[in-house]
Amino acid sequence: MKLRKLIGFNLLTAVILGVVGFYVGWWIGHLFKAESLDYFEDTGQNDISLFIAYLVGVIGFLVGLGFGNYPVQRLLGKPASLREKEDQGAARYFGLCTDHKVVGIQYLIGIGAFIFIGGLNAMLIRFELITPNQHAWNGNNYLTLVGLHGTMMMGMMSSGIIGPFANYLLPVMIGARRMAFPRVEALTFWLLMAAGVILMTAIGFGGFPTGWTGYAPLNVQANMGMDAYIAFFALVGLSMTLLGLNMIATVITMRAPGMTWGRLPIFVWGTFTTSILMLLAAPVLISVLLMVAMDRTAQTGFFNDAAGGSPYLYENLFWIFGHPEVYVLALPGMGILLEIIPVFSRKPLWGYKLAVSGMLGITLLSFLVWQHHLFVSGINADLRPFYMLSTELISLPTGFIFVAALGTLWLGRIRLAVPMLFSLAWLFNFLIGGLSGVFLSDVPSDVTTHGSFFSMAHFHYTIMGGLLFAFFAAIYFWVPKMTGYRLNERWGKVHFWTMFLAFNSTFGPLLVIGFLGMPRRAVTYAGYLQGANTWVSVSAFVLGASMLIFLANFVYSLAFARVPAGANPWGSKSIEWQLPSPIPLHNFDRIPTFAGDPYPYGADAGTAQRPVVAPARPTP
Amino acid sequence: MTELAQHSTPYSVVEAEPPELMGRNLRVAAHLWASSTGFFFFAFLFAYFYLRSVNSQGKWHPHAVKAPVTLGTLIAASVVVSAVLVVVAASRLRGGDQPGWRLAGLGGLAFGVLAIVLQVVEWSTIGFGPTDGGYASVFFGWTGLYLVFLVCTLYWLETLLATSFRYAGRGASGHAPGEASGDSHRTGDDIAEPISLIGPGADAFAFYWAVFAGIGVATWIILYLL
Repeated sequence: MKLRKLIGFNLLTAVILGVVGFYVGWWIGHLFKAESLDYFEDTGQNDISLFIAYLVGVIGFLVGLGFGNYPVQRLLGKPASLREKEDQGAARYFGLCTDHKVVGIQYLIGIGAFIFIGGLNAMLIRFELITPNQHAWNGNNYLTLVGLHGTMMMGMMSSGIIGPFANYLLPVMIGARRMAFPRVEALTFWLLMAAGVILMTAIGFGGFPTGWTGYAPLNVQANMGMDAYIAFFALVGLSMTLLGLNMIATVITMRAPGMTWGRLPIFVWGTFTTSILMLLAAPVLISVLLMVAMDRTAQTGFFNDAAGGSPYLYENLFWIFGHPEVYVLALPGMGILLEIIPVFSRKPLWGYKLAVSGMLGITLLSFLVWQHHLFVSGINADLRPFYMLSTELISLPTGFIFVAALGTLWLGRIRLAVPMLFSLAWLFNFLIGGLSGVFLSDVPSDVTTHGSFFSMAHFHYTIMGGLLFAFFAAIYFWVPKMTGYRLNERWGKVHFWTMFLAFNSTFGPLLVIGFLGMPRRAVTYAGYLQGANTWVSVSAFVLGASMLIFLANFVYSLAFARVPAGANPWGSKSIEWQLPSPIPLHNFDRIPTFAGDPYPYGADAGTAQRPVVAPARPTP
Repeated sequence: MTELAQHSTPYSVVEAEPPELMGRNLRVAAHLWASSTGFFFFAFLFAYFYLRSVNSQGKWHPHAVKAPVTLGTLIAASVVVSAVLVVVAASRLRGGDQPGWRLAGLGGLAFGVLAIVLQVVEWSTIGFGPTDGGYASVFFGWTGLYLVFLVCTLYWLETLLATSFRYAGRGASGHAPGEASGDSHRTGDDIAEPISLIGPGADAFAFYWAVFAGIGVATWIILYLL
C-alpha cells in the first residue's frame, strides 16, 4: 500500500519525472543542433537544448503531480471530475489538490522558502559591499547574485499575497466553497515552484548579468544562465495570468446572495484589481521573453540593432509589463492594510468607496506610466512631460488609500497587536517610498538619480516596505485562522521592531548613498562611501536576523506551543472569522446570505451584527 | 463552533452547487482569456510598428523578404471559416440540434487543422529566414506563436466534440456514478452532468474562437498587406 502511494501522482514522482524530462529534453535539443540548420550554426552555445530541457522537465513535473490526467480524460470525452485529493490528510499538501485552502497553505510555505533564498542572496550582496573593493565575489558572480535576488523576489512576490491569502480567503470572503477553476488554481502554484527551481539552475549555467529587468542587448549576449531567467519569468507570467483569470472569474460568478459589489471586503477589491493587472500585463511579459528566447535560439533580430532590431524595444515591452507589475506587488498590500486597520481600530473602514476608486485608479493609470523608466534611455524628449505627469498623477489614487487608512485610524480605539504594528509600518514605509518616487518621476531629478542606489532604495521602500510588511501583517493576522493556532505575540513584537528598525536603517542611508552618486549593480564603489556602506551592511544583517526570529516563532508556535486560536481571536466581524479555525473542508454547511457591509464596527458593536443572516436555499 | 459551518458536517452532504454555475464560469473565463490573448499579441503589434519606425541599419524589410500573400490569405480565411462554423455550431446546440452542432463543430475543427497545415507549408516554402531583418523576426515570431495558440484552442474544441460524441444517444445521466473520480463512493467529486457543460462550453469557445479569428485577420492585414 505504501509503495502504491509512493509511485502514484505526488511530489516524489513529479521530481523524478521532472529530472528525467529535463535530460530527455536536453538530448532532443542536441538532436536539433546536429541538424545544423542555417540559423542555429552561429549560436556558439546550445540554448535550444536548454530551453527544450526546461520545457520537457516542467511537463514531466506536472505529469508526475497528476496534471496530465484531466486533459487526457477530456481529450477522450470522458466525464470530468471537479475535485482531486481534497480529503487525503497531510498527503494533499504534496501534490495536486483542488481545495483552495490547501493551495493557499502550499503557496505560503513554497513562496516563503523561495523568499528566504532570495533574502540570503541579499545578505551575500551586502557582504560584498562592506568594502569598496571586490573581495568576496568577482564581478560576474556579484551580478548573478544581484540578478538572482531581484528576479526571485519579484517573481515570487508577484503572487506573494494573492497566492497564499487570496487563494485561502477570497472564496470564503465572498461566500463560496471553491475557486471558479480549482485545478487551474493548483496549477498556478506548481508552475511557480517549477519556475523557482529553474531560476536556481542559472548558477550551474554561468549565471546572468542583467539583474531582474533582463535588459537587451545583454540578455541576448549573455551565457546560458540567461535561459534560466527567461524560462523562470515566462512560467511566472503564465502562473500570474492564470491566477488573475481565476480570481476575477471567481469574484464575478461565485459571490453568494447579497454579496454585492459594494459589500465586497476591501481585500477582495485589492485582489480583484491586482488580478486585472496580472491578466493583462503578464501576457506581455511572456511575449517579450519569447522574443528574447527566439533571438537566442533561432537568431531572430528583435533586439539586435545590427539585424534590424532594437534593444529599446525590449525596454519598452518589459516596462509595459514592469510598471503594472509594481502595482501587482503594491495593491494586495493596500487591501490587507485596509482590511486589518478597521479590526484593530474598532471602526468601520472610512471612505470605502474612496479606497475602491483609488485601487481602480491605480489599476488604470499603471498602464500609462511605463515610459518614465526610459527617461534617460532613448525616449523622445517630447513624450517626457506626458509620462512625468501621468506618473505623478498616480499619487492621487494612492493618496486615497492613505486617506482611507488615516480616516479609519482617526479617533479609533487602537490596539497595537502585531498585525496592526506591521500595518502602521506599511503606512510609514510606503509614504517614504512614494515621496522618494516623486524624484524619479520628475525628469530633471531622475536624470541624476536614475540607475543609482537612490532608485534601488526607493524601490525597496515601496516593495519591501510595502509588500513584505503587509505580507507579515497578513501572516500574523490570518495564520491563526489557517492553522487553528496563534503565533506568539511577544516574539512577534520582537520580530516587528527588529525588522522595522533594521529595514529603515538599511534603506534610509541607501537613499543618501544614491544621492551621493553610488551606482547600482556595481561590485566596487568610491572609497568615501565605505562608512555608510558598512553601516548599511550591518543593518541588513540585522534585518536578515529578524527573519530568523520570525521563522523561529513560526515553527515554535505552530509545532510546539500550539496555543489554540479559537474562532475569532481578534474580534473581527468578517465572515472568515465566523467560521471555525481552521476552516472546514466545505467552508460552509450552507451557502450564506450577506445582508450588510463587511465592517460593522462602532456603536452597535455590542449587538455583534453579522453580515451573514441565513442560508440562501434549503438543503436539498 | 458557529452556525455557518462545523467540522463534523460530512463533506458528502453539503448542498450541491447550482448547475448553471460552471457554465457561467466558462463564459467569463473565455472573455478574460480573450483579453489576455489580445495583450499577448499586442506585444508583437508593438514590435512591428516600433521596429518599422526605427528601421535599424536599414534592415527592417529588405527587398528580398516577401511574405507569400496567397498562402497568408488562405491561412486567415481558414481560421475565419472555422470560427464561423463554430459560431453556427454553438447556435445549433442552443436550438437543441445535437447532430447539427456536431457536424458544424467538426467542420470548424477541420478548417482549423487546415490552417495549421497551411502554416507549416508556408514556412517550408518561404524564401527568407528569421535572421533576415526586423520584419522577418516579427513575421516568424508572430505566426509561430499564433500557431501555438491555434493548436491549443483546437484541443479545447476537440474535448467538446469528444464529450458530445461519447454521450450521443445517451440521456443526461449517461455516465456511471463515480466514473470521473474512478470511485463509485466518491460521486460528489464528479461534475454531475458532463453533457450539460457542452452547451456553455460551446458558447464560451465560440466567443473565444471569434476573437481569435479577429486577431488572425489583424495578423494577416499587418504582416501580409501593409
